[in-house]
Amino acid sequence: MIEGNSTFIHVGQIHVDYAPAAISTILGSCVSVCLYDRKMGIGGMNHYLLPFWNGNSLQSPKFGNIAIPKLIDNMLEYGAGIKNIEAKIFGGASMNISSQFNMMIGEKNILVAREILREYRIPIVAEDVGRENGRKIQFNLQNSKVLLKYTTKVGNETRR
Amino acid sequence: MSNIVNEENLNDELKFLSKKILELNKRLIEGEKAKSVFLSLVASKLNNPMTAIMGILPHLKVVDTKKNKLLFELVCKEAFNLDFKIQNMVMASEIESGNIDNSYALVNPTEIVDEVIESLRYLIKDKNIEIKIYNKLKQKAVIDTKKVYLIFRNLISNGCKYGFENSLLEIDLEIKEPMFVIKVKNRGEAPKVKYKPEIFTRFSNEVSAKHGLGIGLSVVREICERLNGTIEYEAEDGFVTFIVNIPLDEKMLDSTTYGSNEFVFDSFDGAIEL
Repeated sequence: MIEGNSTFIHVGQIHVDYAPAAISTILGSCVSVCLYDRKMGIGGMNHYLLPFWNGNSLQSPKFGNIAIPKLIDNMLEYGAGIKNIEAKIFGGASMNISSQFNMMIGEKNILVAREILREYRIPIVAEDVGRENGRKIQFNLQNSKVLLKYTTKVGNETRR
Repeated sequence: MSNIVNEENLNDELKFLSKKILELNKRLIEGEKAKSVFLSLVASKLNNPMTAIMGILPHLKVVDTKKNKLLFELVCKEAFNLDFKIQNMVMASEIESGNIDNSYALVNPTEIVDEVIESLRYLIKDKNIEIKIYNKLKQKAVIDTKKVYLIFRNLISNGCKYGFENSLLEIDLEIKEPMFVIKVKNRGEAPKVKYKPEIFTRFSNEVSAKHGLGIGLSVVREICERLNGTIEYEAEDGFVTFIVNIPLDEKMLDSTTYGSNEFVFDSFDGAIEL
């Protein structure tokens, strides 16, 4: 049972909150990084579509290398300590498109998350990434646990 | 065996290249940081006073002389123009912050178009543009009013600004299930760009200066993406047409207003806990 606010985030959104609260989203090849400061009870989640900013459009958090540093900044603004933050990463599936054409977006999204978190020295304490299924996740800030369910595939389509 | 080796090589290559891109991208982001800071500053510092000015303007009484009326019109025109630019920057800043959500309401899109035309009345009058609306909508639609308003305002404003004087601007509204289709067509020169996506680039150096800051269309594209929609443009025979497609979710039509926070999740029974 979730206590406090329950927030659903879409692609390009970032949400940080104090416990008790929950943040949820649905992922395909997108990746969500969940950060948590156990000491302060502060948690946050992003949801990005592509690994790298293309240099053209707005610096939106739909790009991994924008979304992850921005999520960390938001956590720090809320009062989290960089040394206390732990990360969990989810998503990055190779969705229905043939691997020849999907340009390995999921893989690159995962790689960017690992690389940037490594740079910030934030340990990844749990992850469920890759494979072919979409995922829906709910991050409960009260116990810092993430509930994960795979989306069901119907024929060639992934059902939410 | 060779397939496994190939896959490992491919993965190593992917990791190496991705790290290289990440490194280069970091420098690019740093170089462009000033633009993001500028956007966010404008959004936070100018928005409130501008809202106050826009609120006060309709209550001003002008001493009834021709000169005063002209001056007042000029002030209103510039205020509307400045407010529009600030609204675009506020939206761009919200998108960049990641602190933006969709908020749907059951509305009549033609009312939004009328409101936009009213806000652009000085520009329309200046260029003597005739506006024709082809409304094929038979019902109200569940849309994000604020975002759709900005789409209309940018496309109609651009159509007037870059369209020829004394010309016609056509607005086409249609629901082609499951899409809400908006077309804005004006007679005028097409933006001079090498590649089509350049006109949706923020502060683009490639787009000719007379085609503005390059923030409006980048905001429109981002908004369309937020709404799971698309934007395209065609330029031929002296006409420029922007076409926006926004999906209408059937489930949304059941309610009058709601935000995505009310998205109903299936149960998490049997979920993995990590």
